[in-house]
Amino acid sequence: MSSLIFVRNLKKYYPIIGGIFKRRIASVKAVDGVTLAIRRRETFGLVGESGCGKTTLGKTILRLLKPDGGNIFFGAPQEVINEIIELEKTNPKSKRLKKMREEYDLATFSGEKLLELRRRMQIVYQDPTTSLDPRMLVKDIVAEPLVAQGIAKGEEAKKLVLEILERVGLGEQHLYRFPHEFSGGQRQRIAIARALVCRPEFVVLDEPTSSVDVSVRAQLLNLFKDLQKEFDLTYLFISHDLSVVECISDRVAIMYLGKIVELAPTYKIFKSPLHPYAQALIESVPIPDPTKRKERAPLSGEVPSPVNPPAGCRFHPRCPLAMDVCKKEEPPMTEIEKDHYVACFALMKR
Amino acid sequence: MSTKTRWERLKAEWAPRIEEWKFILRRIGESPLAILGIAIIVFFVIMAFMAPILAPPQGRNPFLMPNDQELASLTPQPVPPTTRHIFGTIISNQVAGQYDIYYGCIWGTISAFRIGIMVVAIALIIGITIGTISAYYGGILDEILMRFTDIIIAFPGLVLAMALVIAFPTIIPLDITQIILILSAVLAIIFAAFKPERKFVLPTTIVLVVTLYLYLNSPIILSINLSKLDKVLISLSLVGWPSYARLIRGEVLRVKNEDYVEAAKAAGCSDLRIITKHILPNTIYPLLIVSTLDIGSIVLTAAALSFLGIGAEPNYADWGNIISMSRNWVSTPELLVQFYHTFLIPGIFITLFVLGWNLLGDALRDVLDPMIRRR
Amino acid sequence: MTSKSSTRLKDSLVEVKNLVVRFYTYAGIVEALEGVDLHIRPGEILGLVGETGCGKSVTSFSILQLVPPPGKIEGGEIYFNKDGKVLNIRKLDEDSIRKIRGKEIAMVFQEPRAYLNPVYTVETQIGEALLTHRREEFLKRAIETLEKTGKGSSFERKVYERMLKKPKSIMTRIMAKFCSKKTLKEEIRKEVIDLLRNVEIADPERVAKMYPFELSGGMAQRAVIAMALSCNPMMLIADEPTTNLDVTVQAQILKLIRQLRERFKSSILYITHDLGVIAELCDRVAVMYAGRVVELADVYELFKDPLHPYTKALLESIPRPGQEFKSIPGTVPNLINPPKGCRFHERCQYEMEICRKVKPEFIEVKKDHFVACHLYGGSK
Repeated sequence: MSSLIFVRNLKKYYPIIGGIFKRRIASVKAVDGVTLAIRRRETFGLVGESGCGKTTLGKTILRLLKPDGGNIFFGAPQEVINEIIELEKTNPKSKRLKKMREEYDLATFSGEKLLELRRRMQIVYQDPTTSLDPRMLVKDIVAEPLVAQGIAKGEEAKKLVLEILERVGLGEQHLYRFPHEFSGGQRQRIAIARALVCRPEFVVLDEPTSSVDVSVRAQLLNLFKDLQKEFDLTYLFISHDLSVVECISDRVAIMYLGKIVELAPTYKIFKSPLHPYAQALIESVPIPDPTKRKERAPLSGEVPSPVNPPAGCRFHPRCPLAMDVCKKEEPPMTEIEKDHYVACFALMKR
Repeated sequence: MSTKTRWERLKAEWAPRIEEWKFILRRIGESPLAILGIAIIVFFVIMAFMAPILAPPQGRNPFLMPNDQELASLTPQPVPPTTRHIFGTIISNQVAGQYDIYYGCIWGTISAFRIGIMVVAIALIIGITIGTISAYYGGILDEILMRFTDIIIAFPGLVLAMALVIAFPTIIPLDITQIILILSAVLAIIFAAFKPERKFVLPTTIVLVVTLYLYLNSPIILSINLSKLDKVLISLSLVGWPSYARLIRGEVLRVKNEDYVEAAKAAGCSDLRIITKHILPNTIYPLLIVSTLDIGSIVLTAAALSFLGIGAEPNYADWGNIISMSRNWVSTPELLVQFYHTFLIPGIFITLFVLGWNLLGDALRDVLDPMIRRR
Repeated sequence: MTSKSSTRLKDSLVEVKNLVVRFYTYAGIVEALEGVDLHIRPGEILGLVGETGCGKSVTSFSILQLVPPPGKIEGGEIYFNKDGKVLNIRKLDEDSIRKIRGKEIAMVFQEPRAYLNPVYTVETQIGEALLTHRREEFLKRAIETLEKTGKGSSFERKVYERMLKKPKSIMTRIMAKFCSKKTLKEEIRKEVIDLLRNVEIADPERVAKMYPFELSGGMAQRAVIAMALSCNPMMLIADEPTTNLDVTVQAQILKLIRQLRERFKSSILYITHDLGVIAELCDRVAVMYAGRVVELADVYELFKDPLHPYTKALLESIPRPGQEFKSIPGTVPNLINPPKGCRFHERCQYEMEICRKVKPEFIEVKKDHFVACHLYGGSK
């Protein structure tokens, strides 16, 4: 089955500049070799703790950041992807590879091609207070993608803006106001309207409910679900709130220090997580039911810095199942059960 | 879709901004010092507009103080305030004659506004352009521009302004090729900064090459004549822009990484659009405040230059000029008292003018800060 | 009313009655708290849960008289039961309340690094807290150590003794300036390292010398907890201490808090908006909405049998997989012009005529289960 988004071995490093000549002395390896596929019309959950690279991954897929390695395919046919992978292994310098990459691999896009992408992929940010320009009217904020991409302007743009505002639960009376006049939930709706006004296929939701109240959260989540059905959207739902991810995602990937450790359908990963980190993570979530209190042994230690990640499997210093091989080599993502991938040497043995 | 009239739509569009302005005015109205500052400036504005009525010009250039020949033949000394000359008269050591201080002060108001506003405007344009480009693009461009800015800041402002005034040629001859050359250079910088499509680069290069060829031999077509005051204007602008560049660079660096700028990129905005529609409106406030304060201080600096003799023509109607002329007459304490009117009266004008702008600038800062924070 | 209050007072550590706080802003007067009733018993963990803007932080600041201007406490009483003596915090002067802050009642905040001075090391800051509140103890310890080891000059010893006897005289201060006070500093340092070890910081010697920006979120929060516990307070107010932390770090800190409660027997007022944390950690729970406590009960009781409609709606809005997301209709009211009567009436499915007019009283409906709602006779 052809997936909408296919990411292969994606890498994104942030340089640390220092010294008199301002050279790169080290890199923060935010995303360090991530491979995943997002299917059409699914909600793909991406969870992890702070610093694991999930936001970076989302933004790199959207090409808001330029990747330092790997491929990103958006709606490319499976044969093309296979051919590119084959060529990269056998003949990395071939002209055909270069041509195909320029055609299909988002990692190489720039200028015009990138502008076309913007229509098909969008993002909703975490904090609606900072993601909306405080000096612009709502009408202009939501119309911006249309105007910037040359899709519509003036009256026609205003019509489209009104349409999408009504779909997200706002109205004409909100057009000529500034963002600070609205509540957090309403601002997030404005941000959603802006993301959907040019009818994209793929939307990255970067912790969209973390900055709003619990009661507003449910409203927004229902809105996401409705809009997904109505507009045929595919979501990448990034969050650190596992209870929300559990309810809205079809499949979930758990990230740790720039790599994916487990990827499976939602119910599976929450009912029986396999990777030790996934287990610890899901165990740590407090359950809102005092009768289910239990003495937990929380995960010890802290997340190491992504500048100098541990060698081999990134999790080995904190892992109860760590073996010798874990300290030297990085475990590959293996399909342990159907559609359930884990990167762990200890589990591979069984 | 409602069918509103054009007027109604326009009103709706501007209504929220008008609300903001009302809020600002209300807050300014609450501070008595702010009202005082505005009152002073309004007073000077009215004086400037009414200058032809209050002090009717005599002669072709209204900015030259009229010479009272009659009085000049009577006394060789400046005359204290009388009914004929309300503020008294002053005698220049370069051009003979008794000059009416009242006339000089009234028309000096126009000079003061002109210098203050024009210098600040030009310095703002240069400073904002350089500062924004430097901060937005970063990297080596930022380094170069900022070191260049540092060099200018390193010079003491007044000294550099003096040097520029003296060094500036009075007559700048420009021929058509030079004009085209300058225009093309500016265009080239803009294109390099904003990276438009390929189709623009080729014609620009061709034009540049052609004009360079023509430059070698062509007649002089245009001559720009600079008056002394114009030279003061240009030098003060050239000395003043670095502080604005630095200021807006700091603000742009702060705003550059905000989510809404990235969101604009995600929406497909070009760099130029991001800078003009998102970054500038959010960074310009501190500059507005500093520039109103600067209008006052620019007038002071221009007065200092006139005092040192580098500013306007000898009998130009300018406050600093009058004080400069009075320098010759107050060498001893007794003379100081006798000829008090020669420096005290224009001095009061300068003080009030600068005070008005300072109070307004302070009031703006108090009001705009919480408004920014309110968001 | 008085009979109820005195029985509560006997077994509560801190009691807040009918607290009213208003903020005088440019936009208008914000009625932040309109009659908050709370009581915390010795040795218990009381959870204070509510959404943003409901007034939980304002309540906690009020207990320590730390409400920032333009806020003012305008009504109600706050009682603190200090070893049998009942103090009315609102009536205390600045000096007396300063003795309580940090010593009897300590506070921990949401963003620890924002509340640590960035230019002083952890050691210096915790040391400052120790010196402020346990000065005499450390001076005595320093003198003892001097006697035992015989190191240090007699001048140093004289300075310590003077600091004990005449702490405020100018002579003492001058002498203290000339003295290196090495022993005192060493005593304090030992205590700081002990405290850091208590909060499960590995390698406390190294961490003590670090600056706040070098600490991770979890470590900084532990350091702040160490500072708060340094003077054995009777009550710790924790204002969303784990909201900004990762969920695994949060689990560590929650475990730590439980252990510390066992060890020090202090009460804890734990403020959060996360119902999961409440269920994990607290003994009793107070639910706040728009400036009032609407329900207060034992945690098992609250989750099993919530009485107030808001509590019910809140528990229902917890996302459960496979089910529709249930939200509470409407929005939190603007506190500049709050609704009359019960502030929840506009969003309540059981709204009655009386709810629009009369504010319901906070009464004990079942044993140890308090509600402020007209459904349960709040109009007495």
